[in-house]
Amino acid sequence: MDEEETAGYSEPCAQCAAVDWGLSEEGRFFCKSCHNVIERTKEVMDLTFIQGANRISTLGRKSKTETAGGRHTWMVCEGFQFILMNQADALLRLGVHPHFKGDADSDSDSAAEASVASASGTDGESNPCSSPSSKGGSDWSGSADSLCYLTPRQRRSHRLLSLKKTLALIHLALVWSREALTLSDLLGLVNCGSVPYVKAHEQLPEQMKLFGKDALLFNAETVPSHRSLHKEAQDLLLFLQLPAFPPISQQTLLHPGPLSLRYLIDANLPGELHRWVCRVAELAGLFHESSQTFHPESQPTLPRYDLQAAALIIVTMKLLFGLDDHTEWELSNNARSTDGEGAQFNLRRWYKLMQTALNRAQQKRDQDTARRQWRAKKPIFMRKKEKWWIMKKKRVAEQLQMCFEKLSSQPSGPKDVTTSSFKFCWGEQKGADGPSLHHTLLDGVVGLKDDLLTPHHHSYWHSSLRPCKPRCQNHFTDLKNTLPNSFIWLLELFCFILDVKPSCLYEEVLSVERRVFAPPTDRARLRNRTETRTRHSAQTSGES
Amino acid sequence: MDDLEKELNPREDMENDDDDDADDSCDNSSRKEGSSFKLDLIQPICQKTLHENGFHQSVRLCLEYIREAMLHHRWLEAAEYMASYAQILEDRVNLTAQQYKELVWRISTEILHHHPKSTMDDYNVIYERMKHSGFKHYLKISLEHSFHLMLHGQIEAAKQKLSEAESWRHGKETTSQYQMTKLIQAYRSLLDYIIWYEKKSMLSGNDSFESDSQGMQNYYRQASINLKEILSNPGVWDPFILSYVTMLEFKEDQEEALEVLNKYAYDDSFPPNPNAHVFLYQYLKRHDASQKKLKRVLKTLHFLVPSHELMLEYFSLLLQSGSKKDHQKAVEVVLDMLDFACWRSNLDVWKCLQNSIQNLQTGEDWKSFVEEKMAVRKEWWPALHYTKFHAMKDSEENPELLKVKASLISALCPDRTLKYSVELESCQE
Repeated sequence: MDEEETAGYSEPCAQCAAVDWGLSEEGRFFCKSCHNVIERTKEVMDLTFIQGANRISTLGRKSKTETAGGRHTWMVCEGFQFILMNQADALLRLGVHPHFKGDADSDSDSAAEASVASASGTDGESNPCSSPSSKGGSDWSGSADSLCYLTPRQRRSHRLLSLKKTLALIHLALVWSREALTLSDLLGLVNCGSVPYVKAHEQLPEQMKLFGKDALLFNAETVPSHRSLHKEAQDLLLFLQLPAFPPISQQTLLHPGPLSLRYLIDANLPGELHRWVCRVAELAGLFHESSQTFHPESQPTLPRYDLQAAALIIVTMKLLFGLDDHTEWELSNNARSTDGEGAQFNLRRWYKLMQTALNRAQQKRDQDTARRQWRAKKPIFMRKKEKWWIMKKKRVAEQLQMCFEKLSSQPSGPKDVTTSSFKFCWGEQKGADGPSLHHTLLDGVVGLKDDLLTPHHHSYWHSSLRPCKPRCQNHFTDLKNTLPNSFIWLLELFCFILDVKPSCLYEEVLSVERRVFAPPTDRARLRNRTETRTRHSAQTSGES
Repeated sequence: MDDLEKELNPREDMENDDDDDADDSCDNSSRKEGSSFKLDLIQPICQKTLHENGFHQSVRLCLEYIREAMLHHRWLEAAEYMASYAQILEDRVNLTAQQYKELVWRISTEILHHHPKSTMDDYNVIYERMKHSGFKHYLKISLEHSFHLMLHGQIEAAKQKLSEAESWRHGKETTSQYQMTKLIQAYRSLLDYIIWYEKKSMLSGNDSFESDSQGMQNYYRQASINLKEILSNPGVWDPFILSYVTMLEFKEDQEEALEVLNKYAYDDSFPPNPNAHVFLYQYLKRHDASQKKLKRVLKTLHFLVPSHELMLEYFSLLLQSGSKKDHQKAVEVVLDMLDFACWRSNLDVWKCLQNSIQNLQTGEDWKSFVEEKMAVRKEWWPALHYTKFHAMKDSEENPELLKVKASLISALCPDRTLKYSVELESCQE
């Protein structure tokens, strides 16, 4: 019965050179003559739907179980894979669809294989990693080849697995399986500890002893920023040479349509804005599937879905309200009564509500950051003689903590951690941040004109749209003083919701504006595609 | 660009009020040690460095919250944040960990001082843990710990801590913290003395002095040996010398006591300390020394502190002797006393002045003497004692003083018409 499963595999066993493989209960391959267990597992072979990906062949390393102390010789990439699995499991617990895990598996295998291939090194340099199983043994680190990972050349080549890469892999897998979690959501989950990252190495199995140079690889003292993680994911895409992703259509939650609606609800903006946001997205050419889905030839850059949606909302707000510290307040002065049926959206009221909620949420976030505990229960030691004083420091810290916890009769660490993807809560229920403005109308801002809904405000301002040279630094900090305060405030609001730096979002806004105000040659191409939809939406709005 | 933003953010500065005097051995055991502290934070601690990782950001924010809570006296909140701050001690980078240990120690003790639910156990835990967490401040923390125990009446425990600290050796650290070691020895001896004294008073009350004399002897010996050694170092050792002298008096070792006191008062290597002379004088008086000796001691005291209350005794001693010189000196002493505002409304002093001047007036040639003495004071004495305001005040509070003062005007300031007297005339009318 094992024959079918193992039929395809005909490599000789490294220990006894026989070709006689069986399948153990966990699905691992083992040599029937010498009971040597290898890394290859049954699951790996089943992922046939990844066409054209790297040959998902085995890693081909043997794990020898030593009787002395039950220690296991293990490879660094095994450790990372384990962590990856744990992270995927955590996401499954949070509600992600199970087939995402399979994707993560395949991605990780291909990534690990490719990285090991590069780690072995083919150049003639006196690379200490030519025989990883002999070097980097028990004295240096728990894993067998962490030295390889740490030589400066390897680090510079950016090809090896690291904790950051596991997160990037998770992100790619999420995008592939078209889950609703954006990159900022993922980082939010990591920050509140729902997805293991900082203390991930605690969950490695007992046999994998971590010490020595492993400390440098598995210790995480900072969560990567949105920008760096995105860059990492982008690099991985190119490195792994993945095929085109499944298309992101209007129904998937990562598409600007649904995603912007989600952000509109979170920011307590009226639902009527959604139509305008979609219109702007069309104008920018971002509505169509092809611009949202990764494709190695036509769309080589991975879109930043969350930033994009936020930028579209900001551009829409600019379009309708002006946001030049003048127009928007005038418009809100003209708004009628603001309660009950047919209530109009009043920007001033919205601003006041939002500002108090934002202050409160910002404060809570800062307090949670201050209380966060970064130290794992089982620290990794660089050198054996360090163990004593590291444990001593740990004991001192723990006793101090216990003493103060007893005094304050509260455990340390952030209070009331919730894993909701919405940052604010609007409505009438208890604990809400304020009344919901979702159903207010935009009557004061847009009006019927020739049977078409048009905004009252006719002009649009923007900063210089000419793209800078590639290596140019972001200009936001320089321009900040010249931009209107309302605009800056809105930027900062969405930066809080997404937990990114204002300069990133500003860049995205500029790029959306560039697309919207593209020169005529490009615009013609865009217009043809979106023409039918434009007419359609104009007609519907005329009727409503 | 991310780095640029970090650089543009303002640096945090942390400066608290300072009053650290753990090193000072003057008579301050009545104050609660550690209730105010000097936090000499060097810039690098609270500065947001260029490549700050998540861990450092968290602890930096936590420290800011603790500081806010402490400055606004929200001690419960400070205790909460302190629980989350404890992870700083596990910081891998060895350099920063050193500085943070002192920070954690001082902040923890401060919070415990003010927190409503803190107990002695908490203090003990904190002190013990922080003591053993590093050797740079082992001695300092030991000293503070034992001060704390002393102030809460746990003398035995305090002594035990100090004995432990005394026997601590750590290579170069011991030599660099030499002064701290001396202090520890001194305080241990003081504690020995306190224990001995308590036992003595207990036993003498019970009238069973012979029992436990061996134990008493031990304490006595330990205390006296160390105290003697400590007192040989220049410094200000008021409580120590008093306890040593008390012990010597008990054993009736007069010579030793006198020698120690004299050395304390007159040795040039010791810093000038008026109290030394006061102690010496009190001792001599207790043991019925001659007037000459007493006067000699008080003379130096007069030189150091003209406004001391013992000057009245000096004055009476001088008047008692028969010589004119002494009487003149007496006037001088009293005038020096009255130079200071604290004696302004004191009837006794003015009466003394009156007496001494009357005394002088019996002899001849007193006017020139008085004039000479008043020459340096002519400018400001009237403003100090003889204004209209003083007159009004004195007539309300102390009419007798008014009379005495008024009577002296003619003697002291004959050529000035003072409002004081004018007021008097108007009162008399």
